[in-house]
Amino acid sequence: MDRVTDEAPLLVIEGVSKRFGATQALSDVDLTLRSGEIHALVGENGAGKSTLIKMMTGIYAADEGEMTLDGQPFAPRNAAEAQQLGVAAIYQEPSIFPDLSVAENIFIGHQDRGLLVNQQAMARDASQILATLDVHIDPRLPAAGLTVAGQQAVEIAKAISLDTRVLIMDEPTAALSAHEVDRLFRQVRQLKASGAAILFITHRLEEIFAISDRISVFRDGRHISTRVAADVTEDSLVREMVGRDPADFFARTEHHEGDPVLRVSGLGRTGVFADISFELRRGEVLGFAGLVGAGRTDVGLALFGVAPADTGSIELDGKELTISSPGDALRHGIAYLSEDRRRSGLSLPQSVTANITLATLKRYTARFGLLDAARERSDAETFRQRLGIKTPSLRTPVGQLSGGNQQKTMLAKWLNAEPRILVLDEPTRGIDVGAKADVHRFIDELARSGMGIILISSDLPEVLAMSDRVAVMREGVLRAIFRGARATQEEVMALAVGAE
Amino acid sequence: MTTDASAAIARPRRFPQPDRIKEISLLGMIAFSMIVFSFFIDEYPGARFFDRLTTSVVIVAILAVGQSIVIITRNVDLSVGSIVGFTAYLTGDFLATFGSAGPIAAIGIAIVAGAVLGSINGALVAFGGVPAIIATLGTLAVFRTAMGLYAGGIDITVDRLPDWVLEFNQRSVLTIGGFDLTLIFVITIAVVAFFQWFLARVRGGRRLYAIGSNPDAASQAGLPAARLIFLAFLTSGALAGLAGFMYLTRVGTISAAAGAGLELRSVAAAVVGGVSILGGSGTVLGAFLGALLLDELRLSLIRLPAISEFWIEAALGALILVAVVLDATLRKRLNSRWAAEVRRSIGEPAPVTQGIPEGGSADA
Repeated sequence: MDRVTDEAPLLVIEGVSKRFGATQALSDVDLTLRSGEIHALVGENGAGKSTLIKMMTGIYAADEGEMTLDGQPFAPRNAAEAQQLGVAAIYQEPSIFPDLSVAENIFIGHQDRGLLVNQQAMARDASQILATLDVHIDPRLPAAGLTVAGQQAVEIAKAISLDTRVLIMDEPTAALSAHEVDRLFRQVRQLKASGAAILFITHRLEEIFAISDRISVFRDGRHISTRVAADVTEDSLVREMVGRDPADFFARTEHHEGDPVLRVSGLGRTGVFADISFELRRGEVLGFAGLVGAGRTDVGLALFGVAPADTGSIELDGKELTISSPGDALRHGIAYLSEDRRRSGLSLPQSVTANITLATLKRYTARFGLLDAARERSDAETFRQRLGIKTPSLRTPVGQLSGGNQQKTMLAKWLNAEPRILVLDEPTRGIDVGAKADVHRFIDELARSGMGIILISSDLPEVLAMSDRVAVMREGVLRAIFRGARATQEEVMALAVGAE
Repeated sequence: MTTDASAAIARPRRFPQPDRIKEISLLGMIAFSMIVFSFFIDEYPGARFFDRLTTSVVIVAILAVGQSIVIITRNVDLSVGSIVGFTAYLTGDFLATFGSAGPIAAIGIAIVAGAVLGSINGALVAFGGVPAIIATLGTLAVFRTAMGLYAGGIDITVDRLPDWVLEFNQRSVLTIGGFDLTLIFVITIAVVAFFQWFLARVRGGRRLYAIGSNPDAASQAGLPAARLIFLAFLTSGALAGLAGFMYLTRVGTISAAAGAGLELRSVAAAVVGGVSILGGSGTVLGAFLGALLLDELRLSLIRLPAISEFWIEAALGALILVAVVLDATLRKRLNSRWAAEVRRSIGEPAPVTQGIPEGGSADA
């Protein structure tokens, strides 16, 4: 930590709000960035960080409030305009042109050297900039083979060549090794020394304290605090990130836990997660808490055979299984509800009925391989009533339903497969309060009927309220398993972000 | 700022550029196949074969240049065959009516008409948001029908055209021995050279690659993608117009079906020539060599008595598949070698396969 900046404000955000349908993504947010500072922005998933970035880079317009850059109103209409005004963003997955040379990637869009492209001059300028970043790549070579770290270096070089004054870095370290993170930090400090303001978004606490001058916390679309990093402790940070009231959650009813049904030991997939061991009992809800990217979804995908594990074992009722495809998983009674219902969960243009019977079509095959439409319809109707799916008709394409009803349809699809173990990945993300309560009530019902349920959720109060036990993951490793009632939000969050 | 910085670069060992390799390998394939055929065909390859190849390749070669420009932007122009037919008919009708007009006026009319048709494609794709394959499949039929209505069932025939038209196809710039360097081939070479230079050196040309390479990043970088895509289609249309003129001078008789099927041959030439159908890479020179290779094979296979005409298309099709598969494999290899080179040059270990810190799980 060198000095507390008392420079004049560079970018000022005042009273900004943004609403998407029923969701208030940002409400009345203030934030000030000064030149020559590294400003960390932290918050749980859904705290409103991404929305704020998209506003600063011209992808969204604010509903209310205003932004000023150097005292001038700042309201870019697109990313290119924001960039011209000096505000650029680098994302976790950088966007480069794989077929162009490294130098062209840096200068494209602003090669103001007349009509002709002088490749030599461009390569020379590019290597000068790259050298200041301590990156030694021949700028004439195609960018296609660069590692993520190399691509980020190219984007930082581009920001330098553009005289970027505000650089937003959205989880730039997520895909980097420790060695690469060190170099990235040196590059960021270099940028800071040149007078730029850097908005640094990361989930890793040690990084926040290592690099930032000031820290702002967002929660549920609100700005909670902005403080000088030296005044912030891990404890206070964690407390501010969580702190929602779990009272409005459905409370689990008491129920009896049966014998262990699933035993996972030493499960791992190279580079993604390692040494995951746990037990799941009949009638138990085992929560998986942690941040996005901690490897929870990957464990779910391994159990379901989408991306099989390469070490460790999975035992069902004491018998070891090999699960190398979703077909294997379903045969053994394991179903997985995807976190991304629009992409991998549902077939949006197809009807509610078709989606509910999609995974179990074999059962509806009558003579000559034809489908028994009447049975499909009656089963779908049963689920419609049981789950309360609100749809004009069972023939309605699922894409036309609300998020909550889509979610229920997806749930019906997997329940129709009559699984013994159900993995639910973010089952209530992006659905309204009513549908959320329905899903919670349903999870409880399923558990009481004896199903073993794994509940992956980034919604901390939800996972604590719904689970009998809560497993916490960070960086591909299972850090602890709490008895649900014993854990507090602070304890779980501290483990998830890596605070002591 | 000093230039010392560039000296500090640990330059990776010489890295073969995919595009260069592609062009050299195409030349090699042309040479190799000609050597093979020379064992089976008399007086091959001689002056007659050279003359036949260089006059026959020009139409597809010019179309392949335009097609490559469009494909590089991650689009495709399926209407070029219809544009060839349309402009050939229009130019023929013009020459039949104004017998005193010369080649310059005729070429001008063909190019302008082609550009107008191309701009319709460009507007549909760039500003109307219609996927290129659908937009140009539509205009393929529309242009063909418009031509039929315009022709009203009357073909352009040789006897209605001025005498210079068919001679134009044979006009020679230079004759050495029996080898004729025809004017139309020189024009084709000039077109290839100009666009090769344009795509490699001019800002607008490099931006076409950028758009095809990563459309999202292109819009983030503020490139005028819509305008450039529009211009790419316009250029493809204009070149198809030029090809239409050449079609007229070659064939002389223009019916309602003139030029049909050329769109697929132009795509094939571009793809065999190393222009990635996914956009962002390839060169006009490669596409030209692709056209040359395909035409050389076609003309050689025709002269092989052992191969019936029926099999020629199948053989050519199989060859295209082989070329594309080989290309994909080669590219993948080169890219991974390049990645290894970069890591070495910046002193990095092999790719990270496990980055998971120590830590166990515990039941609390």
